[in-house]
Amino acid sequence: MSDIGIWITALATLAIYSFLYRDNPFYKAAEYLLIGLTVGYSLVISVKTVLWPGLVLPLLGGDTAKIIPLVLGGLMFIRLVPKLGGWSRIPLAVYVGAGAGVSIPAMLKARVLQQMGATMSNVTTISGVIMLVGVITTILYFYFSREQKGLLQPVAKIGTYYMMIFFGATFGYTVMSRVSLLIGRMEFLLGDWLRLIAR
Amino acid sequence: MKLDRRIIFMIVALAVVVPLLFPLGLPVAVTDETRAVYERLERLEQGSVVMLSFDHEASSLPEVRPLAEAILNHCFRRNIRVVGLALFAEGAAVGYDILHDLAARHDKQYGHDYAYLGYRPQYTAAILGMGESIREVFPTDYDDTPYDDIPLLREIRNYGDIGLVVSVADGSLPTYWVEYAQARYGQEIIAALTAVMVTAYAPYVDAGQISGVLGGLKGAAEYEILLGRHAAGKRGMDAQSLAHLSIAVMIVIGNVVAFGLRRKNETTEAGGHSS
Repeated sequence: MSDIGIWITALATLAIYSFLYRDNPFYKAAEYLLIGLTVGYSLVISVKTVLWPGLVLPLLGGDTAKIIPLVLGGLMFIRLVPKLGGWSRIPLAVYVGAGAGVSIPAMLKARVLQQMGATMSNVTTISGVIMLVGVITTILYFYFSREQKGLLQPVAKIGTYYMMIFFGATFGYTVMSRVSLLIGRMEFLLGDWLRLIAR
Repeated sequence: MKLDRRIIFMIVALAVVVPLLFPLGLPVAVTDETRAVYERLERLEQGSVVMLSFDHEASSLPEVRPLAEAILNHCFRRNIRVVGLALFAEGAAVGYDILHDLAARHDKQYGHDYAYLGYRPQYTAAILGMGESIREVFPTDYDDTPYDDIPLLREIRNYGDIGLVVSVADGSLPTYWVEYAQARYGQEIIAALTAVMVTAYAPYVDAGQISGVLGGLKGAAEYEILLGRHAAGKRGMDAQSLAHLSIAVMIVIGNVVAFGLRRKNETTEAGGHSS
């Protein structure tokens, strides 16, 4: 990164962190800069890598089949005209229909069937039994068709303990993740910018 | 009792900055999960192809860059060829920089030892499409060179020619790799994740749908130890440990104080009732 780039990055980092003291114009400026850059970058890369080579160039080359996505894409924007807004439902219907058709079987297989298979085929080990008990008790906690009384109550209670362990582990990892981001910025400020540590 | 939260920010900042300036050299133990990922890459034959997908945003760079670098160092050191791509727009330029940077350090030649396909939106369609033909999904590389003009890519038709997919991710993208590449085409997947995502993928590892997970800066540090290198991951571990310790201590102190105050209030109320 060039020296100018390092200075801009360092000042933007300090502007963002200044929010920890209190809200201020420097933070606001850095926030707006981030949003603007993100949108601009996404737009440019979408045009450069998708719209231009995938739609414009084939159309200019005589690929008439690309008229279909062009029309469907255009209809998505027609909702900006309130009187014609209903037409935007056509591409949305195509999008939702295709998306559901592709994703439902895949999700069912990967997230339900394979997961169930792994849970049930592993009960010969202690960890497998612990896992199976966790799955059953947690699912029963979310069984809402009957009041949690009698046998269901202690079983569902066990499910809540499993969930609390999960929440605790997830929180721990979240802290670790956020601290890692802080370390990354501090390494940049102390190393690349102030050159107090070796990079 | 109310504590200014800026004091907490200051304590955490000090816990991070001080060990960066004055390293403590605290030991880092290598976990079985990291070792499993390392050994999986070790088992790949020289010359085989790893597909590295930069499925993250720029904001998570401090965590994902050490992970990607550790994997790439291992691949290039073992003469494993790498095909990079990005399924998040922000990952595209980041991936381009990281891949070229690491390849230059290992004297690898673009087009023969590695290639970078760039970004495609609609990750579901992209992952599914590559199962049939990678060329159809990426007719050119990131620099607009036609797919067939790149020697490495000419050898690769679909997942059948890919030894391993590594998704460097800060979100749910590895789930889509599992659903559309692993479940449908039997493609082996490894996930290099930000720490916050690790618990979400443990069931997939347990079920064998993901071959291994490398988690966060700690995972990168462990991998660097296995590689015998000292880089960004290992450097940050002192700061990570001290920051965690300070947070844990503050949580304990906060709970002790809160518990004490509650008991004091209960005692006061009980005294009031009895009088």
